[in-house]
Amino acid sequence: MTGPVVGIIANPVSARDIRRVISHAGCLQITDRAGIVLRVLAGLAASGVREVVMMPDRSGLRGYLTRAMSRAENAGETKFPELRFLDMKVSGQAADSANAARQMRRMDVAAIIVLGGDGTHRVVVAECGDVPIAGISTGTNNAFPETREPTVTGLAVGLAATGAVPCAAAFADNKRLEVTINDRQEIALVDVAVVRDRVVGSRAIWKPDSFTELFVAFAEPTSIGMSSIVGLLAPVKRGAPYGRRVIFERPETAPFRLSAPIAPGLMQKVGVQSVETIKLHAPMTPTAPAGSLAFDGEREVTFSHDDEVRIILRDAAFRTIDVSACMAHAATKGRFVEADGALSVFTRQLGGSA
Amino acid sequence: MSNNPFPLSKERLLEAYRMMRTIREFEERLHVDFARGDIPGFVHLYAGEEAAATGIMMHLNDRDRIASTHRGHGHCIAKGVDVKEMMAEIYGKATGACRGKGGSMHIANLSKGMMGANGILGAGAPLICGAALAAQKLGHGGVGVSFVGDGASNQGTFLESLNLASVWNLPAIFVVENNGYAESTSVEWAVAGESYVDRATGFGMPGVSVDGTDFFAVYEAAGEIVKRARDGGGPSLLECTMVRFHGHFEGDAQTYRGKGELEDIHANKDCIKIFRNRVREAGVVSDAEFDKIDNAVVALIEQAVIEAKAAPLPKAAELLTDVYVAY
Repeated sequence: MTGPVVGIIANPVSARDIRRVISHAGCLQITDRAGIVLRVLAGLAASGVREVVMMPDRSGLRGYLTRAMSRAENAGETKFPELRFLDMKVSGQAADSANAARQMRRMDVAAIIVLGGDGTHRVVVAECGDVPIAGISTGTNNAFPETREPTVTGLAVGLAATGAVPCAAAFADNKRLEVTINDRQEIALVDVAVVRDRVVGSRAIWKPDSFTELFVAFAEPTSIGMSSIVGLLAPVKRGAPYGRRVIFERPETAPFRLSAPIAPGLMQKVGVQSVETIKLHAPMTPTAPAGSLAFDGEREVTFSHDDEVRIILRDAAFRTIDVSACMAHAATKGRFVEADGALSVFTRQLGGSA
Repeated sequence: MSNNPFPLSKERLLEAYRMMRTIREFEERLHVDFARGDIPGFVHLYAGEEAAATGIMMHLNDRDRIASTHRGHGHCIAKGVDVKEMMAEIYGKATGACRGKGGSMHIANLSKGMMGANGILGAGAPLICGAALAAQKLGHGGVGVSFVGDGASNQGTFLESLNLASVWNLPAIFVVENNGYAESTSVEWAVAGESYVDRATGFGMPGVSVDGTDFFAVYEAAGEIVKRARDGGGPSLLECTMVRFHGHFEGDAQTYRGKGELEDIHANKDCIKIFRNRVREAGVVSDAEFDKIDNAVVALIEQAVIEAKAAPLPKAAELLTDVYVAY
């Protein structure tokens, strides 16, 4: 097979946690997820990608996709790329996404499209190395992946993968927070929150009384989740060469209080003691002697006085596909215009030069 | 309390452990006694699934009603039914919870809010809608909790109950205990749409999936769901992914399991072992304190068996009493 191969890792079970009860978080049914993958495939095909490899699952996604593609082919509808599934054991756990990302990296795919929330993206980024990723929000908290129509993401990834958009425009470097707990290595793409509870429990964090500290790689005023706290106080762009650290205090005694959307549908008042800028590559330790660490909004690991915890902000840690830049480049170059000279006609009509 | 990192006091942690250990010991004893031919009828064991019943039931009181399944011993014990009257019931004795006429699959104790184990798959869900409707009308803040397995979740009764609970905004909680197998059929082959959370969403109620082998995950999620129902927030579905230590029924050769599956379950997914290790490592409860509970539980179950064996059978003249209900 010639031409670039694009990978797809679609988490079939994201968006299932307690936040559906506490804050009306969304739930994306498996058929909707299949529809998203089909729209991505349509976009990839239109951009010239002929081969796609996907993580297998046992939650029904594969079956729905296979059936829909076969029906479309019979009906002479959309031409899809050739889709095959990785040969791997399916556990139904996050390890599947990690395993698939490792395999796709070894296969040297041109890009990996990820369907999931912040948690799924975190798992893929930990394993994908230099392979650029493009995120599609299908999780609970989606601070990292941008919300966009999947067809357009597919188009942009196809343009980047086939070289139709030069690398300088197609890819963006990203920061991440790297965390070590003794010998254990973890990462967060958006934020690391330190909470008092010393159990992972139902994973989500939503009780401000338990928050002690927050580290963010980036935070935009439009962010959702814990990073929205910084986004509404002292925003940090994805590309900025620094991050932020917030020390919390109980709202009743804190110097100031802030209301922020710390989970989808959940505005909470948090007490803030201080906000400071954190530098790249400078090791930090949490001020709390014990608690849990939540990566991108989900408790993952507990620590106590005996554990050595270190947090470092790194830049150029992984690459993403800049969907907006790819599509802007395609528009400028008339990538999807068919008639010769049509672009110059339009441009003249709009008063510009061809 | 300052050095206790858990969302429960030490006393409550010990209570949770005692509850889980009692269920385990009860079931493991039945496993042995059934194989020996001591037990009449049929038993389906809850061993391996204890964290789900315990994590949920610790949020309930005697006024809250639960409806159980054919695999109901764990629910009974966690809801506070006396293990001696349960054992006597399983032995078919007159001192049993249902005077020896219900057996394993029909243990009930209404004073404890236990509406019964149930031999009919999916039958508990409509019962709990009734209990939840009563609680709603009486306005006493009670809730109804229905347990169903992954297989019985495909029953019409269960799906109709989700609909009813949602349209009436009942304080009902539907717990799907997903141990991966409907008898011997893997859930992957039998559940369309694949996700219980999706099913709940389809009926207009929130659904949540948690690791049912993690007591703390179940406890925390159930706490939010029960509170929501008590406060008038309506029904929810809670899926607990879990493992069963034994076969569907006692005597099941379990040829449908993968190679090494049972060994993996016992080594890595034992909810009691996970709980005990975590609490001990945090320095909250010592091994000696846990061992003391273990010993007390073993003695309790031994005594329950001795008393059950010694108890009289129901009299022939009472054949038709306690069997039919008059309105």
